[in-house]
Amino acid sequence: MAQATAGQRIASRNPLEIVIDRTWRFFCSVRVAMAEIALLAVLVLIGTLRGSSVPDSIAVLLPFTRPVVDAWYAWDVFHSLPFMGLLTVISVAIAICTINRVPGIWASIAHPTIATTHGFLRNAERSGEITSPLSPAALATQSRAAIAKSGYRALADERQREIHLYADRFRYARLGTFPFHLALILILVGGIVSARWGFREMEFMLAEGSQRAVGYGTDLSVRLNDFSETYTEQGIAADYHSDFTLLRDGEPLESAIISPNHPFTHGDMTFYQSGFGQAVVMQITDVAGNVRFEDALPLGQFRSADNPEAPAAVIDVPTAGVSMTVIAPDENPRSQPELDQLNLRSGQMYLLLRPLGPSSPIAEPLAITLNQGTPVPAGDLSITFLRETRFSALQIARNPGISIFYAASFLLVAGLAVTFYFPHRRIRGIVSPTPGGGSKLVLAPMARRDWSGQQAFDRLLNNLETSLGAPIARIDRVTEPPAGAAGRQHVATSP
Amino acid sequence: MDALVRFSFYCFTAASIAMVTSAICYIAYAVGRVQVRQARLQTSAGTAFVGHDTRFTPQSVAVARFGTMLAWFALAFQALSVLLRTIAAGRVPLANMYEFSSTFLVVLLVMYLVFERTYGVRQLGAIVLPLAAGMAAYIWLLPAAMREIDPLIPALQSITIMTIHVGLALLAYSTFAVAFAAAALFLVATHWRVAWLPSPDLLDDFGFRAVTIGFPALSLVLIVGSIWAHQAWGAYWSWDPKETAALFTWLIYAVYLHTRTLRGWRGNRGAWILVFGFAAAIFTYYGNYFFGGLHAYGGV
Ligand code: HEM
Repeated sequence: MAQATAGQRIASRNPLEIVIDRTWRFFCSVRVAMAEIALLAVLVLIGTLRGSSVPDSIAVLLPFTRPVVDAWYAWDVFHSLPFMGLLTVISVAIAICTINRVPGIWASIAHPTIATTHGFLRNAERSGEITSPLSPAALATQSRAAIAKSGYRALADERQREIHLYADRFRYARLGTFPFHLALILILVGGIVSARWGFREMEFMLAEGSQRAVGYGTDLSVRLNDFSETYTEQGIAADYHSDFTLLRDGEPLESAIISPNHPFTHGDMTFYQSGFGQAVVMQITDVAGNVRFEDALPLGQFRSADNPEAPAAVIDVPTAGVSMTVIAPDENPRSQPELDQLNLRSGQMYLLLRPLGPSSPIAEPLAITLNQGTPVPAGDLSITFLRETRFSALQIARNPGISIFYAASFLLVAGLAVTFYFPHRRIRGIVSPTPGGGSKLVLAPMARRDWSGQQAFDRLLNNLETSLGAPIARIDRVTEPPAGAAGRQHVATSP
Repeated sequence: MDALVRFSFYCFTAASIAMVTSAICYIAYAVGRVQVRQARLQTSAGTAFVGHDTRFTPQSVAVARFGTMLAWFALAFQALSVLLRTIAAGRVPLANMYEFSSTFLVVLLVMYLVFERTYGVRQLGAIVLPLAAGMAAYIWLLPAAMREIDPLIPALQSITIMTIHVGLALLAYSTFAVAFAAAALFLVATHWRVAWLPSPDLLDDFGFRAVTIGFPALSLVLIVGSIWAHQAWGAYWSWDPKETAALFTWLIYAVYLHTRTLRGWRGNRGAWILVFGFAAAIFTYYGNYFFGGLHAYGGV
């Protein structure tokens, strides 16, 4: 098509046209596509081995490769420019290749060429011959009906006293390649959409009874109503659940209970249970008795230098003009006793207050040991360690590309299934008159070096034999490789 | 060891023996009868051997039938072994390399025997059955502790999706093994002109048809794996080495499928890609030995 016209007009065309034509052909070429996919495979392999000790073993074996191996480990292939560039090139190729292929494939479905040649039938590896006392027209009609009974579409065209036949089945399955290839682009689109408009918060800590905004530009917040866990006999956490409520602008939307492997989905957002830990509820009041702060602080994100094993938390409280560091008693004081300088007892918390901003109610940092339930004055503030509680660690992910991914997966698998399991089978034939008023039909499959296609043709011939009630002479020109040179020849003559 | 688990292991032992003997029968059939003729030269000093020449003639088909029968035996015992283990564990046995490989053998044998029947050729057993026997040997070499049943770690508890994911992986790998056998035999048949091997066109088609099952299966492995990852971790693709190794294998077979549309690439070059693809599949299968990452907990 495009190639044929290109050849004829090449002399008269301007350079721009030639460049466009070359580019178009570059993107349409299956050979180039194979090279692109192979290159992609190489990059994927490089990226895969980066996650293994294989490059290291190479460097141990061949020390001079060490710099290359170091560069290999340092190169994040999957987020690199060459990788993204190649994916882009392949996507463009798929799109252009599709545009290029649609008209041809559609034509072969809607208006196939019916006419064939005696040469094609003579050279076919396999063919069948029916002789009949009927006129050519009658034999053609009868054969078409019989072929159609086997699920084929049979078309005929009369030319020069001969009737050419074309039969095919599963012609629409040829379209399956398009949803498949377009699904590949869609998967990338899904990935881009998720990366651009999605987020993944890995450590969303929420203490029992408290509420926190999800952030990331959403107007959602989450309140943890209850947290519960069960332990095995060995004291390992067997299961744990968070009962929480999702709110929009403070209005409850939905409540759910999540546990590991049982996330909760709201629209394109998913909430996962990932862990839990200890939290402490603190209250700050001012001289007038107004509560400036009251919330649970999850302990454990931060570890204090004074007491490295101890759970601790740090938080800025702008409403009270202070920054608080809370350190809980060391769960295991034997681990590094020389570092445990706080000597806290159970029911106590160590508090470090720092002024936040010039108008802070405290002038300089203060260190206080708090006993549960007892308010302690600090400048103009009063600070109380109310109680201990637990926090639940959630993961919150927003994946707006997930529905695109699902749709693409469906198209991909369905496209493959249609292409592979409903192969387009085509048969050509010519009905010609024989001396004495009879006629002869020769049929051959378009299945060169296609074993399955030839088997399908054999089955069709068997069906024809039954429905026509006439014997069919079978001609098989496939030479099974004998123990001689023919075996080799078989490969050398690949079409 | 629980009685069921022990009995399951005995069945595996029986299946191993059947696989080895079946492999021997198939190889004998594919290689043919070997006749070594020695040429002698009569000299005044007596008889001197001047050389020998080896001739191959077709083997009796009875040998191949015996191989097939033994392969069915192996399948029956291996299936029973996996079934007993399923009952003993109360779940599909896919939790560690021992269970995974045992179940793989069942799928591989089913796949091979189905293809053998469909195409009516037995010579491919000479490649598939030694592969199966090699896999059985690998299972024997695994630490004996794996023969016990362990409870699953929490992340693997989503049984249904795990079974689908891993089951499809087994299906994909076993069809790739069958395609590999066809490709290897294709290369042998076209390079050494062995008369009693199936026609190259048949072998070419055999390999292709295996890939038409394996490629969609591997696509589904990646898709189902992504859905699972999305449910468990909130991201459907994280460039985990095991994921990318499977993607690598998938891309090799995509290259292979494109060769089918090109003149001159069918046959020989396609067969080499299938051999390479199978190597990639093995690499993915044993990837746990090289990688850390999210898939490491299956325990190799
Ligand atoms: C990563 C990228 C690609 C993958 C994974 C891929 C995969 C496949 C697969 C599995 C098939 C066989 C099933 C079918 O016919 O649909 C196929 C066929 C084909 N692909 Fe691709 N492909 C890719 C890119 C391309 C590109 C860029 C082109 C265009 C140059 C292309 C052109 C074709 C053609 C012409 C066929 C034959 C379809 C037929 O027989 O009707 N592919 N591809």
